[in-house]
Amino acid sequence: MTLGNRVRFFFRKPHNVILTILAVSLAFLTLLPLLSLLKDTVVVHPSEIMSVKGSKMGDLTFFHWKKVFSDGETSMNLFYKPLWNTIRVSLWSCLIAIGLGGGVAWLVTRSDMRWKPFVSTVFIFPYIMPSWTLAMAWLNFFRNRLIGGAPGLFTALTGIETADWFAYGAFPIVVVLGLHYAPFAYILIGGILRNMDANLEEAAVILKAGRLKILSRITLPIVMPAVLSTFLLVFSSCMSAFAVPAFLGTPVRFQVLTTQLYRTLNGLNPGYGYIMALVMIVIGTGILMINQWIIGKRKSFTTVTGKSSNISFARLKAMRAPISIALVAFVSLIAILPLVTFAIESFIMAPGDYSLKNLTLQFWVGKGSEDIGGGEPGILLNKYIYLGLWNSVKLSVVVAFVAGTVGALTGYAVVKARGTKLASLVNNLAFFPYLMPSMAFAAIYLSMFAKRNLFIPSLYGSFALLVLVGAVKYLPFASRAGMNAMLQLSNEIEEAGLIVGIPWWKRMTRIIFPIQKSSFLSGYLLPFISCMRELALFVLLIVPANRVLTTMLFQYNEKGWNQYANAINLLIVLIVLVFNTVINKATGASIDKGIGG
Amino acid sequence: MPEIILKNVSKRFGKFVAVDDLSMVIGDGDFVTLLGPSGCGKTTTLRMIAGLETPTEGEILIDGKTVFSSERGVDVSPDKRDVGFLFQNYALWPHMTVEQNISFGLENLKWDKERIRSRVAELLATLKIDQFGKRYPSELSGGQQQRVAIARTLATGPKVLFMDEPLSNLDAKLRTEMRSELKRLHAETDSTFVYVTHDQLEAMTLSTRTCLMKEGVLQQYAPPLEVYHNPANLFVADFVGSPTMNFLEGVGRGVNLDEIKMSVSGLDLLFSPVSGSITLRDDQPIVMGIRPEFVRIGETGKGRARVYAALPSGMETVVKLRSGDQLLTSVVFGSIDYEADGEVGFGFDGEGCVVFDKETGANLAIGKLAII
Repeated sequence: MTLGNRVRFFFRKPHNVILTILAVSLAFLTLLPLLSLLKDTVVVHPSEIMSVKGSKMGDLTFFHWKKVFSDGETSMNLFYKPLWNTIRVSLWSCLIAIGLGGGVAWLVTRSDMRWKPFVSTVFIFPYIMPSWTLAMAWLNFFRNRLIGGAPGLFTALTGIETADWFAYGAFPIVVVLGLHYAPFAYILIGGILRNMDANLEEAAVILKAGRLKILSRITLPIVMPAVLSTFLLVFSSCMSAFAVPAFLGTPVRFQVLTTQLYRTLNGLNPGYGYIMALVMIVIGTGILMINQWIIGKRKSFTTVTGKSSNISFARLKAMRAPISIALVAFVSLIAILPLVTFAIESFIMAPGDYSLKNLTLQFWVGKGSEDIGGGEPGILLNKYIYLGLWNSVKLSVVVAFVAGTVGALTGYAVVKARGTKLASLVNNLAFFPYLMPSMAFAAIYLSMFAKRNLFIPSLYGSFALLVLVGAVKYLPFASRAGMNAMLQLSNEIEEAGLIVGIPWWKRMTRIIFPIQKSSFLSGYLLPFISCMRELALFVLLIVPANRVLTTMLFQYNEKGWNQYANAINLLIVLIVLVFNTVINKATGASIDKGIGG
Repeated sequence: MPEIILKNVSKRFGKFVAVDDLSMVIGDGDFVTLLGPSGCGKTTTLRMIAGLETPTEGEILIDGKTVFSSERGVDVSPDKRDVGFLFQNYALWPHMTVEQNISFGLENLKWDKERIRSRVAELLATLKIDQFGKRYPSELSGGQQQRVAIARTLATGPKVLFMDEPLSNLDAKLRTEMRSELKRLHAETDSTFVYVTHDQLEAMTLSTRTCLMKEGVLQQYAPPLEVYHNPANLFVADFVGSPTMNFLEGVGRGVNLDEIKMSVSGLDLLFSPVSGSITLRDDQPIVMGIRPEFVRIGETGKGRARVYAALPSGMETVVKLRSGDQLLTSVVFGSIDYEADGEVGFGFDGEGCVVFDKETGANLAIGKLAII
């Protein structure tokens, strides 16, 4: 066969065309930024001319590397301490998330606990809500006089002043991140437990193994690879979390890598920031490699699980009622109570005074007055809020559309060409953005697209840049969902259409998509929700004209206008929950389907 | 000696009745198959005896010991019932090697290491899987996994063995092979086997007694050949046997004391029972059941029919005949290729034709059938 013919035959298959286009564009959108980032760690940026003595802009320098890694006390405060804090906080958060999420997953899938539908629905809420929701709720409850202003609800109700370590810093960050990612662990581990054949445990029962022995020798070893990979995914998510440490750590100067990144990139030493971003990417990639190594081991169980036909629930016996009640109470506490505190805080005139006569509608529908919050009107009358809301929704819809569609195509093409080098390259490229911490990712895009680049004009401050960064960042979710959808669909379904001459476009829109509608739509839902609640990714790229609700909330919070921040937060949470519920009820798409539970 | 007794056992999942008031005795050393279409409650029954499922009502005894009683609140856990269980999908532990899978049960019995090692080696040899000891289940073929699962179940030497469709995941050739291995195993181990299957051929060939179920209700519990020749009702007659029994529907009339006359699409038939007697109401709707081997093709036969299709398979030939608007299946020994639409004569042989009541499906009598 001639080379020309080989190429022609290759491109006659639609999935090969898609793969080729994806390989090129994803390399451009993920690998090139990495190179650009590398370059940024060794050049002098405009704001650094003063600190790097005798240099011009764009000069090659190892100044940043030296400062970050080997400059005694400076490096310690700049990099090593935040790195250590990041690792410490991420590890503990992970343990909480896995312990809690795994425990709930076991109770829901394997025991005869009551009220499972309620628990499994509401337990997901903290993951759907913005990560700082719980952080703000924590502050609403436990803040003390350290940051000035009034103490929180807890102190107001009990009169007990909370300790600094309890109100701010590592402890609350760990708790809040742990609670936020527990649903994520729940979805992943629950999926494994649901797919794990109950016969495996029953076989051990018959062979006279005790309960503990079954757990330690059978159940845990079998789910362990998956739990480990859940652990790694949660770890890298915790590592790149920005909002929570920013809210809870800043009052006591507790810095982690992401907050350092924000400070340096926004300040005078972007070079430091780029190096830290690189470190985070290296850690993330290392985690992915460990993960693949674990999954690839020969003991891997995925090939042998059969259908789980007869699941018999573990009987909790006397503990059934107490456990059920405790879990329902706990789930309500972490998912519903925060919303109540936002509502309360947003109706209070003078912070810290929770008496009835101090209630006000000022921050919702009040006209602007000079002495309150710099003359801003209530958020329902504030045209900037509406602008931000419109921007948020517009951005999320466009990002979800782009990421969801590209993700579905990626899933289709990768599954079709399974086993080829090109397919695994595209698969890895599509997953790579997951490993890039949002903040670092935004920083690279900022540096790459701030000026003309190849044929692309300068995108700084444009809506297009936000869409681009969002779509690429959330592509991993969407392509996962697309792949799950395609893997459940036998190849013959499409071939039956091919054989009667239905063109590719029609096969996709009339056959494949409708059959796996809910799985594909989950690939749109996840980017939408993530985008609505995203802060770290956009905070560096936003200019006043295209600010979104989350960045406005962040600004109000930085200014200390608590009531506005609470009101906006409530607004965001409600929009996200309503959207999620409506889409879930209408189409069957859901977050857990997207993640692959 | 292990004997299993079920007394009025029922299992309900919400409103759905999976097993309804089942009573049976499984004798020591029996090879009993629970047979029926999917969803008939056979797997649930097996799991209830093993203790993996809790019955809603009833009583179960193994070896004279009550292991479950809804009235007295007894529910002995599966590990204390001294049984073995072979799962449909083998349920091999993917993270353990073949040897570890087999030795796990022995460890639980606190055997010493030397004894475990020799027992594992013995089983590996018996089941012809010695070369796979160090492999993981995912590295074995379906048939090999099956053997490992059997070895694991046999390791502790249970006197009662439960099997849930153990051969359904194997290809046809392996299945036939494993069938004889299982029968051999039953003879060698001298244990009681309870075996779930939806394959009537498996039930026929393997078991000493067959328990046929439909929608949770026991239909017939008897040795397989009795089930075949003297089916309790229409459902049993239809489910057991391949090719399936011929059914002629019509109205019967009693004549000459004990005989029945019926006419079906131009055929006038006379039925005389071989044992006992039969009385019908006037114009009672009945169904005549005739096994294919009792439909004899030959020029001496009084009936005339055309060949609808002939399916020679070497050892035997299945011939479908059309007589009037009736299709009849016949089995002829040897391979004879009848021409489609050729005319042949046929008649009925033997003493194994069955009359069923059409309304209740009950077996009314067995006897000879002749064309008049």
